[in-house]
Amino acid sequence: MCGTGPRAQPGGVIELRNLTKRYGDTLAVDDLSFRVEPGRVTGFLGPNGAGKSTTMRMVLGLDTPTSGEALVDGGRYVDLPRPLTRVGALLDAGAVHLGRSAYNHLLALALSNDLPETRVAEVLEQVGLAGVARRKAGGFSLGMKQRLGIAAALLGDPGVLMFDEPVNGLDPDGVRWIRHLMRGLAGEGRTILLSSHLMSEMALTADHIVIVGRGRLVVQATVSELTERYPSLEEAYLELTAASLEYGANR
Amino acid sequence: MSVLASEWVKIRSIRSGYVSIGAGLAALAVGALIAWSAIAMYDTATPSMRRSASIAEVEEVVVMLPQLSMGILGVLTWVSDRVLRTSLTLVPRRLPVLTAKAVVVAALGLAVGVVTVFGTFFLVHLMLDGRYPVATFAERWPTLAVTGLSVMVYALLGLGLGAVLRRTGAAVAVLAGLVYVLPMLFNQLPAPWNERVNSVMIAALPRQISGASLENSVFGDILPPVVAALVLAAYAVVPLLAGAWLLRRRDA
Amino acid sequence: MRAALSAEWVKMRSVPATAQAVGVATLTIVLGLVWTLYVADVAEDRGRAVSAMAPELGFLPLVQISMAVLGVLAITPEYAGGQIRSTLAAVPSRGRLVLAKAVAVGGVTLATGTVVILATYTVGRVLAGDGLVDYRSDGLHTVAGPVLSVAVLALAGLGLGLATRSTAGGIVTVAGLLFVLPGIAAYLPEPWNERLSAVLIRDLTSAVGGDGTLPPWAAVLALLAYAVIPLAAGHHLMRRRDV
Repeated sequence: MCGTGPRAQPGGVIELRNLTKRYGDTLAVDDLSFRVEPGRVTGFLGPNGAGKSTTMRMVLGLDTPTSGEALVDGGRYVDLPRPLTRVGALLDAGAVHLGRSAYNHLLALALSNDLPETRVAEVLEQVGLAGVARRKAGGFSLGMKQRLGIAAALLGDPGVLMFDEPVNGLDPDGVRWIRHLMRGLAGEGRTILLSSHLMSEMALTADHIVIVGRGRLVVQATVSELTERYPSLEEAYLELTAASLEYGANR
Repeated sequence: MSVLASEWVKIRSIRSGYVSIGAGLAALAVGALIAWSAIAMYDTATPSMRRSASIAEVEEVVVMLPQLSMGILGVLTWVSDRVLRTSLTLVPRRLPVLTAKAVVVAALGLAVGVVTVFGTFFLVHLMLDGRYPVATFAERWPTLAVTGLSVMVYALLGLGLGAVLRRTGAAVAVLAGLVYVLPMLFNQLPAPWNERVNSVMIAALPRQISGASLENSVFGDILPPVVAALVLAAYAVVPLLAGAWLLRRRDA
Repeated sequence: MRAALSAEWVKMRSVPATAQAVGVATLTIVLGLVWTLYVADVAEDRGRAVSAMAPELGFLPLVQISMAVLGVLAITPEYAGGQIRSTLAAVPSRGRLVLAKAVAVGGVTLATGTVVILATYTVGRVLAGDGLVDYRSDGLHTVAGPVLSVAVLALAGLGLGLATRSTAGGIVTVAGLLFVLPGIAAYLPEPWNERLSAVLIRDLTSAVGGDGTLPPWAAVLALLAYAVIPLAAGHHLMRRRDV
């Protein structure tokens, strides 16, 4: 899949140790600890407001933890010399300057990490945006912006990838493309953390599942473990998070 | 009416709404600061210096703050309305959205303008306590009223520029250019053109309307009050009309 | 650092706002040309020397405000659109990012300011020709202050944009610094009006060339402070805040 890019790097480990984030009176992330291992797709599930995006932002050093740590291969993200070559992330597809072309958006990111300009054309080709590379991102549909965000994550050919709701706005074709992309990246030995609300899609894509509720870890298990105990992944999710919400309410 | 209520909710629910109004009201504090330093100087002056002491019209200096901040609020009311597209869908005729924004922005501009201008006048009068020879309220009120009203024009001008240019940077830069840069440039024109052109600049209009003098400023005062009032109104109305026209023609 | 810098340079050249701001600044050359032709014409009509404002000084506010806006727009749209998250994921060191942006903004605006102001100066002198036009300027060395002030305002705009994270907030603050503060300072009673005016950008700009209250070296330092203080404040806030 990445045969045209630089040699694929071995995956890394994302490790959260007692990660906590407090906004005023609200605990967005509450003493969260888990590991994301290489070579598989880890699905990151939880209701809206469960702290999934906040956790990913803390891994990237965008938000500072109130206490605890989020580590990549045992170190802090902000200390990585060329972070895009180690960790790629799609957090928010809208995060582009609307007046700048897709090509220049990626070029600026590539140059900031000493990546060759040829990588820009490669990832644009990979996500299927080569034909609109010179168009302004402001005119892109949500699906195209998602693809641009994925291109940015792949730019440095990183061993660790995080995707927050990557299938939003994609057509059925795009959803299937994402599924194959994720499976392929994990098959190359990379570490994939993927959040989504689409349970049927997650059941097809992920190997391992981490469920959070109200900022706390509810369960981590393999997909097969969950589907053995419950009728489906969706049933498992609904039952487990319902319990977590009751727990939260009774505190 | 419901459009109006919705626009009001939008303004009072964004941070920049409070910042703009707060920055405008800060004029009172700046006015007090100027008065305070004038008092400190007066009290240490010799009697002969005191007799020749004078103080400028503080209200018309500090009004620059609400003028600018409410102008920006006008711009932001249009440009940073994240739900503008939704609003235009809910109100398909579109113009009521602009009208409602204009009414809300005008009312806020008028309120902030009147409060800061008259507030500063009375505050400074109380503080000075007869130290400097200052004009009475009876002499000053026409200029004060028009100056307060001018804040409303700045707010509407900002809204119109926002609706025409649709970019915060561009609209704010043009507003600052119109208010500050152009008078400085036109002041360099050879006489009598500098005075002629700078008579129609927005900052020159309030005093021409109230018939007060503009000696010792970069501005001219050749317009009769009625014409000056019409020009001031044009600053509010022309960009808004242009915005309305574009709004009907352009895609949202 | 070199990598972060080349990324910022790509960002600057790939948005229309940069070209528009440089275009507005370049308008000064045209204004200077028209002005010079006009003054030369008046002088010829009267048949005697005419004293007139030097175009590179009189039209300077246009260069200053357009480059200040460019400085603000080098950062605030990133916050408005969320692009800042991609930027910081790629360059996690806030210090390096601010420095790279400052060098890119400083370089572009210093170059623009130098070219525009020198061109306006030259056009004004060459076209004025036969000695009938007497510009109120002490010569070429007086353009150093204006050129420096342009880059300083752009960097102040960048710093204020970082601090306020808002296009409107950044532009208004820098416009207030340039235009509103001198107005308010003038109305302060003596000696405060002169003391405050002496450290405002307008007076410092001419003081660099020897025409001001402060000596040239102090004026240069004070002008640099106008760039450094907002940048330091912006950097500090950026380190403290979540994105």
